[in-house]
Amino acid sequence: MLPVCASADVLAGVRKSGVLRWGGDQEGGGPYVYPQEKNPAQVTGFEVDLANRLGEYLKVRAEFTQGQWDKMPDMLRTGKVDVIINGYELTPERAEIMDATIPYYVYALQLLGRKDDSRINSWADLKTAKAKIGVLTGSSAENYARNFCGGECQVISYDGNTDTMREVETGKLDATLEDTPIASFYASRFTKLRRIEEPVARGYYVIYVKKGETALLQALNEGIVLMVRNGDLERIYRKYGIWDARQPELAGIVESARFYGYLRASTARIEKNEMPQQQAVDVETRKRGWQVVKEYSGILLQSAGMTVALSVLSFPLAILLGLLIALGRLYGPAWIRPPLGAYVEFLRGTPLMLQLYFIFFFLPEVGLRIPAFWTGIFGLAVNYSAYESEIYRAGLQAIPHGQMEAALALGMSRALALRRIIVPQAVRIVIPPVVNDFIALFKDTSVCSVVTIVELTKRFSVLSMSTQATIELMGMTALLYLMMSFPMSIVSRRIETRLGSESPA
Amino acid sequence: MIVIRDLVKKFGQSEILKGISLEVKRGEVHSIIGPSGGGKSTFLRCINGLESFQAGQVQVGEHLLSASAPDPSLLRAVRRRVGFVFQQFNLFPHLTVLQNLIEAPVMVSRLSREEATARAVKLLTRVGLANRQDAYPRHLSGGQQQRVAIARALVMEPDAILFDEPTSALDPVMAGEVLSLVADLAKEGQTMIVVTHSMGFARNVANCVHVFADGKDVESGPPAKVFGDPQHATTKSFLTQIGKD
Repeated sequence: MLPVCASADVLAGVRKSGVLRWGGDQEGGGPYVYPQEKNPAQVTGFEVDLANRLGEYLKVRAEFTQGQWDKMPDMLRTGKVDVIINGYELTPERAEIMDATIPYYVYALQLLGRKDDSRINSWADLKTAKAKIGVLTGSSAENYARNFCGGECQVISYDGNTDTMREVETGKLDATLEDTPIASFYASRFTKLRRIEEPVARGYYVIYVKKGETALLQALNEGIVLMVRNGDLERIYRKYGIWDARQPELAGIVESARFYGYLRASTARIEKNEMPQQQAVDVETRKRGWQVVKEYSGILLQSAGMTVALSVLSFPLAILLGLLIALGRLYGPAWIRPPLGAYVEFLRGTPLMLQLYFIFFFLPEVGLRIPAFWTGIFGLAVNYSAYESEIYRAGLQAIPHGQMEAALALGMSRALALRRIIVPQAVRIVIPPVVNDFIALFKDTSVCSVVTIVELTKRFSVLSMSTQATIELMGMTALLYLMMSFPMSIVSRRIETRLGSESPA
Repeated sequence: MIVIRDLVKKFGQSEILKGISLEVKRGEVHSIIGPSGGGKSTFLRCINGLESFQAGQVQVGEHLLSASAPDPSLLRAVRRRVGFVFQQFNLFPHLTVLQNLIEAPVMVSRLSREEATARAVKLLTRVGLANRQDAYPRHLSGGQQQRVAIARALVMEPDAILFDEPTSALDPVMAGEVLSLVADLAKEGQTMIVVTHSMGFARNVANCVHVFADGKDVESGPPAKVFGDPQHATTKSFLTQIGKD
């Protein structure tokens, strides 16, 4: 029996809004979801085509939502996406916490080595050569490789899909284990690599939905069945060069397996889709040098804008919060000091990433939904307010006690004395460390990618994964950061000089 | 004008002031002398509430400070009536001489900037520093800084001014400048309590001299009597000691 009704009907929400939000990480690279060559702000990939076709089937618009790959289940749980379509393998652990559709792709794991490396010609050679094997963190390939090696060869985990392939080419790694779509798609980019043995450990990519969303599950399953039967899937996969001997199994699953939506899907009238054959995606050889600079400086500059927005909006807030905390700790009533001290210690003592993660993925559980951008602003401001408050505390304490006494003796209130006498003097002392902190915050904005914000560093990672033009992109990214932080140093020095000429501080 | 009754001040277990009573009438100059550690400065700081005390009371005009934690607005009222000049001057380093003077009149007494400036310039002329009004404190000598500090107290037009060893941080020449200024103020009838190590000042300017030792006002009276015919053993040994220096 099927459950009659799901607790919260996501499908109804999708139909009502007319948008299916699907989650993926473009940093994963081709052929899944990656930046378009001509317009890097837009995404392309076989999962983009798949999602768009599913959207057409559901009569809604499919909208890509960027997020960190390993955080997708959290995004699904907190309702930031409706579905996950991002090379997510069908595993028992994931099926525990989410519901899976029928497979939309059958992958396997391909071992890749170097053409000029004669030592490794088989899986067994890995052990005899005590080889180093690179894998993607958290992937099935990692699991498989660790089980296989068991201490006899070395498994090294990477955060990027294609990083490992480059590392094999340069000789730092001896082999890498990749999902077949990646190995096929990037074969022409990594000409020094060769396949070793047939792919192993076949598995399935599935679409995940929130646990209990049977209506959505059924609709997606129907969509996949239709796309298998009318040849849409085959056409999409051929376009990206990833249709292989394993894919006919999809048809077998559709015709024989039992799943949500099976009854309706199997009776649906199927017409062979007569759409014209799409042109195959051209995975050209690696771009280099000035061509990279020319094509990607625009998008990097745009992402630098996000970095600037995050910094300039969060830092004034951090300054204000930090100042209030410092004043409270030094001059506030006795009962307020321990909680403020705890606030500072807690925020200084835990990673910014965890704090952002908490705001973005936990607060929605208690009904507080803050959009990604404001999560970034708020998280950075709160985190840095702890550092700021310590700077101000030191600055305020550096002002001789006699200053406060002299102000009080003239009949000023404590608040007035702080505002007119103490704080203006402390400001002069704290300018250099505060500017220092601002530059640090400026670079820390990159942590905001955990809450789906794409700023400069994330954009660099995304582009570098899909183009492999790492050196050029790295240089441009570093240059952009420097172009933004260096003027701040100059401005701060100006302020210091100007204030310094007025007072000894 | 200022009446202190049975003032007791403790820091933890040690008793710094052991029940001191003292009355200052309008126009009088009282000088407090005595060995270091006798409680002179602490006594002065109790009068304008920079220090709290454990027993007794301080009356300034119609305001009464008692041992219980005083209301901040009462403290401010007292401090507006009683100026204070510190040993270390405590000028505000981020403000010019003129700004140091007009800060409190504008921010506390709500005088217009023009009025406060006029008052301040007059006082700076009075202390001989009219030409330095745009200088920052660090560009002044110690004696000049203390004269600015005195002008800063005067600009509030206080009923009385408390001087806490105003010349201890100065060399003899500069100390002379400051003391002659304080003596001039005394002649004009400014009510003052001056804690000092300068016996010449106490002898020639004060109406009344108090000798503090070990938290008590051991001997007080007109300077001629205290210096000419000391009664208390502590006073005698203190004056002998000072005389040798």
